[in-house]
Amino acid sequence: MNRLRRTLAGIGLPILAVGSLALLLAVAAVVFLLNEQAVRRDLAREAGAQADLLASAVSGALAFDDQTAAQDYVDAVQVNPNVLAAAIYDQNNRLVASYARGGETIPPVATPRDHTTQFLDGRLYVVRPVTQGGQRLGTARLRLVGKPLAQQRTQGVGLFLVVALSALLMTVLAVGQAALKRANRQLAARAEELAGANAQLHEQMAERERAEEALRQSQKLEAVGRLTGGVAHDFNNLLMVVSSAADMLQRSDDPKRREALIAGMRQAVERGSGLTRQLLAFSRRKPLKSAVVDVGEQVERMRILLERSLREDIRVSIDVQRPLRPVELDVGELELALLNLAVNARDAMPDGGELTITVFSEPTNDERICIRVADTGVGMSPAVQSRVFEPFFTTKEVGRGTGLGLSQVYGFARSSGGDVTVQSEEGRGAVFTLCLPTTDKALAAEVSAAPPAAPRARGRALLVEDDDGVAAGIGHMLRDLGYTYVRACAADEALKMFDGSDLYDLVISDMVMPGPMNGLALAREIRNRRPDQPIVLSTGFSEAAAAAGEAGFPLLTKPYGIPELAEAIHAAGPRRGTVTEA
Amino acid sequence: MISRGAFRVKALALALCLAHSAAVANTHLEQAVKANYLVRFTAFVEWPTAAFPADGSPLHICVAGADPFGQTLDRAAQGQTAWGHPITVRRVGSESLRGCHVAYLGRGYSLTAATNLPVLTVTDADVSGHRGAVHFVVVNSRVRFHIDQGQSQRAGLRISSRLLNLALSVRGAR
Ligand SMILES: Nc1ncnc2c1ncn2[C@@H]1O[C@H](COP(=O)(O)OP(=O)(O)O)[C@@H](O)[C@H]1O
Ligand SMILES: [Mg+2]
Repeated sequence: MNRLRRTLAGIGLPILAVGSLALLLAVAAVVFLLNEQAVRRDLAREAGAQADLLASAVSGALAFDDQTAAQDYVDAVQVNPNVLAAAIYDQNNRLVASYARGGETIPPVATPRDHTTQFLDGRLYVVRPVTQGGQRLGTARLRLVGKPLAQQRTQGVGLFLVVALSALLMTVLAVGQAALKRANRQLAARAEELAGANAQLHEQMAERERAEEALRQSQKLEAVGRLTGGVAHDFNNLLMVVSSAADMLQRSDDPKRREALIAGMRQAVERGSGLTRQLLAFSRRKPLKSAVVDVGEQVERMRILLERSLREDIRVSIDVQRPLRPVELDVGELELALLNLAVNARDAMPDGGELTITVFSEPTNDERICIRVADTGVGMSPAVQSRVFEPFFTTKEVGRGTGLGLSQVYGFARSSGGDVTVQSEEGRGAVFTLCLPTTDKALAAEVSAAPPAAPRARGRALLVEDDDGVAAGIGHMLRDLGYTYVRACAADEALKMFDGSDLYDLVISDMVMPGPMNGLALAREIRNRRPDQPIVLSTGFSEAAAAAGEAGFPLLTKPYGIPELAEAIHAAGPRRGTVTEA
Repeated sequence: MISRGAFRVKALALALCLAHSAAVANTHLEQAVKANYLVRFTAFVEWPTAAFPADGSPLHICVAGADPFGQTLDRAAQGQTAWGHPITVRRVGSESLRGCHVAYLGRGYSLTAATNLPVLTVTDADVSGHRGAVHFVVVNSRVRFHIDQGQSQRAGLRISSRLLNLALSVRGAR
């Protein structure tokens, strides 16, 4: 008993394996047999259907002795490669039409048979009567390949299984591979799409930036255009002051009177330069740049410009109610917004009036600082009020209004995180209130607010200036600041002088000069040779000024005086290795 | 049992050329083929049910006017059925075709009376050029036929496409 069990245990596994194998084989055999029978059944069914078809098709031809038509139908059966022979016999079993593959014979007279399906000697014989409307017209007979095909199939099954299995395996692998490839392709396509979309987005953003930039620029130009009339008038007055004072200086010997005249001239020049500086600042293309500022101070600074740009019959008062917390904003935009509000007020007061600008912390909330611009002009109807901030909305005649002023104010307010409101009644003036959020950031170091006491930095300067008069003036100032200087009239000459002698403590150059190289190119050239060389650029042209600013050189805007020059030299920094006085 | 249908006239046409006396025999064979076809037509035509008083009531093949068949037609029809109806042969002379299912219009019969009855009218080029639903002609020494579906449809009959396929021409097909 034990031995048997042990034996069984020893051979258990192989027995199991062999047993399963045998079972599998048996199943396979049964399947094969069933398959064989099924194949025969299918074959018989197919052949029967074909014979039925032939019998019904040929009835007319048989009834009315159309041998050609009958032959056509018989020939059509050839398409089936399993058909060895086909024939049509008439009611008397005489041959009407036939077809036979090589080696097959067709008897001219057939043995009478009815509906027959018979496997015999590896052949399948099928006979179908041809009837029509109940009349018997003859028979259609087919002879087909019987067993061989079935045997082929049976023998083929094993091979077929192996092939099928490997095919399946390969298919699975191929499908997997293909799926992987497809996924990869899709991924790549998606990545490409994304990249495309991204590029498009960038393009759109750039486009938008360009459009916004263009709009800002046109808004500025509009404001500047508005101002030009007033400023030109103002300038004429200033020039008048200067020219008459110059005349009088020539004639007068009284020192007191001369001093007064000179003081008046200086004041006029100061006003004029203040005005042009502001105008140039406005028309300059510069990107939005935020700075932390004291809004009260910014408004105060605009006093001269506002006073000058409005008419004499308009009184401007500015009231800054401190304390004020700092605000982060774009100074240029703020100035432009104030200017736009002031110009609108001017337009609303054709017969003169009062413009009051008040800067205050919002009473309930010192997180916001407001600028109130109030006029005593014609005011607005509610309908106009509701539309004033729309771009291109204007009630002014063609050529006078563009409708862009308040849209700039609105855009500035929103982009700074604030808002702007309007209160008005027809005939009773208008009040625009622009409120901006304050910031916890510290105020930017105010360079211009406190010009450093001009350091008496002595040294050698290279002055590049094409205009003799200007060169002489700057020369005086340089000497005053403790510099000796040599002058070059053009950039290439300056470069030669710079290369010829070493150690200039300062290079100061005009930007726009005749010759192939301008001041900016010269400055870059020199910086290439000596990165630590202090360089100051000066110009009267706003475009050039912007370029210098971008290139990172300290810039003097003409006209300028000693304090501005000292400040610029200070900003240019000391040349390393040079000891300057503390 | 009908007699064998495949009557080739060709061989006999040869005989015709050889001897005039064979003409009678030739005509006889041709008529035998036509008689046979008259019977066969019944298997390829469907009549409206109203054309038969009852299931299994006889299908009449009528010979109107002069009868060229004699016993040939009776022999051809003997024991035959179509769609379950036993086939009988009637000779109607010059009378109405009412009750007929197939009518062979022999010499001396005018068609006018037959128009709206469910009758397959069979005419013969040998008799006149006037055409019925089926019109016998002899082509290449073989008996063939033209079909006029306009007439068969007016009579309410449906002719099998297997018959139409064999016609020399099919007229009035919609
Ligand atoms: N202070 C104001 N008083 C009365 N109406 C004003 C005032 N400011 C603006 N408006 C009205 O708002 C409109 C739009 O102003 P704005 O956007 O600056 O465009 P523009 O000045 O070119 O017309 C003006 O046309 C005017 O009707
Ligand atoms: Mg405006």
